[in-house]
Amino acid sequence: METGSQAHTTNPDRNPNPNNPNNRNPSPNRSSTILGSSPLWPTIDGPLGLSEEASVSYARSFYSFGFAMLPWLWALNCFYFWPVLRHSRSFPRIRRYVVRSAVGFGVFTAILATWALTFAIGGKSLFGPVWDQLVLYNLADRLGLTGWS
Amino acid sequence: MAQNTKPTSILDSLGEEIIRIIAPVSICMFMVVILVSVLDSSSSSSTSASVNSIATIAYAETNSDSSWDKFVGALLNSLVFVAVVTVVTFILVLLFYLRCTKFLKLYMGFSAFVVLGFMGGEIALFLIEDFSIPVDCITFVVALFNFAVVGVLAVFMSKMAILVTQAYLVVIGMLVAYWFTQLPEWTTWVLLVAMALYDLAAVLLPVGPLRLLVELAISRDEDIPALVYEARPVTCNGSGAEGRVAQRRVWRDRGSENSDHESNNNPNANSVFVENVDSGSNSTSNASVVPDSSTESNTLVSGHNDATLVRAEEGWVPERDAELSAPLIDPRMNIQPQQSELEGIGLGSSGAIKLGLGDFIFYSVLVGRAAMYDFMTVYACYLAIIAGLGITLALLALYQKALPALPVSIALGVLFYVLTRFLLEAFVVECSLNLLMF
Repeated sequence: METGSQAHTTNPDRNPNPNNPNNRNPSPNRSSTILGSSPLWPTIDGPLGLSEEASVSYARSFYSFGFAMLPWLWALNCFYFWPVLRHSRSFPRIRRYVVRSAVGFGVFTAILATWALTFAIGGKSLFGPVWDQLVLYNLADRLGLTGWS
Repeated sequence: MAQNTKPTSILDSLGEEIIRIIAPVSICMFMVVILVSVLDSSSSSSTSASVNSIATIAYAETNSDSSWDKFVGALLNSLVFVAVVTVVTFILVLLFYLRCTKFLKLYMGFSAFVVLGFMGGEIALFLIEDFSIPVDCITFVVALFNFAVVGVLAVFMSKMAILVTQAYLVVIGMLVAYWFTQLPEWTTWVLLVAMALYDLAAVLLPVGPLRLLVELAISRDEDIPALVYEARPVTCNGSGAEGRVAQRRVWRDRGSENSDHESNNNPNANSVFVENVDSGSNSTSNASVVPDSSTESNTLVSGHNDATLVRAEEGWVPERDAELSAPLIDPRMNIQPQQSELEGIGLGSSGAIKLGLGDFIFYSVLVGRAAMYDFMTVYACYLAIIAGLGITLALLALYQKALPALPVSIALGVLFYVLTRFLLEAFVVECSLNLLMF
């Protein structure tokens, strides 16, 4: 058992990644902040995820690719680097991109949701005959997209 | 500092590993059953004859043929399909052998995009039409584009959150499985049996393409270029302390790390190993692996292939889903305690059971087809498939080599379907009618 405990005593931070779902360690999430250190792993996967250097490049490329009309990529960027978002003092290089991704996702979703809800709730009374041309099931019928044809 | 290292029992780790494979399989089957029951209530069974694909190229089933004709036709269809799959798998092995990994990756990314974009879009269209959801085309196109592109990124091109990758793999499996359930009935069943037999042959025979693929991958210590669902490895202790990034791939390139002593990447190796030795079981927990001669990478693989068919404009283009070959790979664990190097369970280097996406697909096809009859058959087939999967995992622990994941489950599933449909249903209905049992 000494090997086991040895592996433990070399571990200064008993629960370094509060977001690691594999962790069966009963110690609380705060232990990392108690020591004043930021979480060890920037990704939500913990030790199975990326190291910090790789994370910076991934966060940057996710952020820049998101500009190609991909707000979902921004959202996944925030999800993947959730520990970075949660602990505001950690990983400053990654945090820049993740925060901007979050902002971008929020803005884009707000715009898209506004449009979609206006379309759905407004209906014909708001749009007139254009509604029938824009709504999807009519368009699909006209273009013959369904029916495995 | 005593309490933290309470050794978890075999049941915890082994059960956890099994659950992490069974859960996504069940989710995939459940979603396919939901899709089938929602979407097929609107269309009649006769429309299924209009599906043209490589799987119905020899014979298109109609309702008026006799059973024997249908059976022979289905047999021809399946033979053609299996032949196409074999040829394409051999091409895949050849390409892998010639190290055309770039091309393979591009091809797989392209087919994933087609599956997610076109098939996903069609199914979404069906759902929207059924429920008359007032979505406009702009929102729909943006959403679908996002979904498909990010899916391709998550599965192939870059590293993404494990949960997201797993979710997209399950979605791809679900979409392809739904498409397969649109085939005519006899063709579907005979095709399932044929694919199970093909899987058996391809993985166990020495000339089998899947076996060649696995051996090539092992000898080169590369990943199989395929869509493989990898369960999250189970770590028994507090993980990731040492600041080393654990790697999840099985055949990690050992040249990049010190290959003389293993148990390096993950600090859990020691503790996990200790626990394994303490618990006295070396081979049963997480199904240890056969030691490799060249590298210490031990893997258990079961393989199986699948082909997706993409509808081109006019004709039908069979598109080989090379990615859907299915290894059922076990965690690498060196069970020889006399060697000092060790890779425990849940290690960075792999420590995860892998199941190929083709297995997901064919399990879901079986259950989806059962759903087209009644929910009673769904329950029976689901239990049969899970039992088969459990048996396969147990065999994996026993034999410690690549195993096909299809045959046992499909055999049990088909058997249970037939028994339920023809025997159990009559029994239950009669009991209910006579108010004996409900």
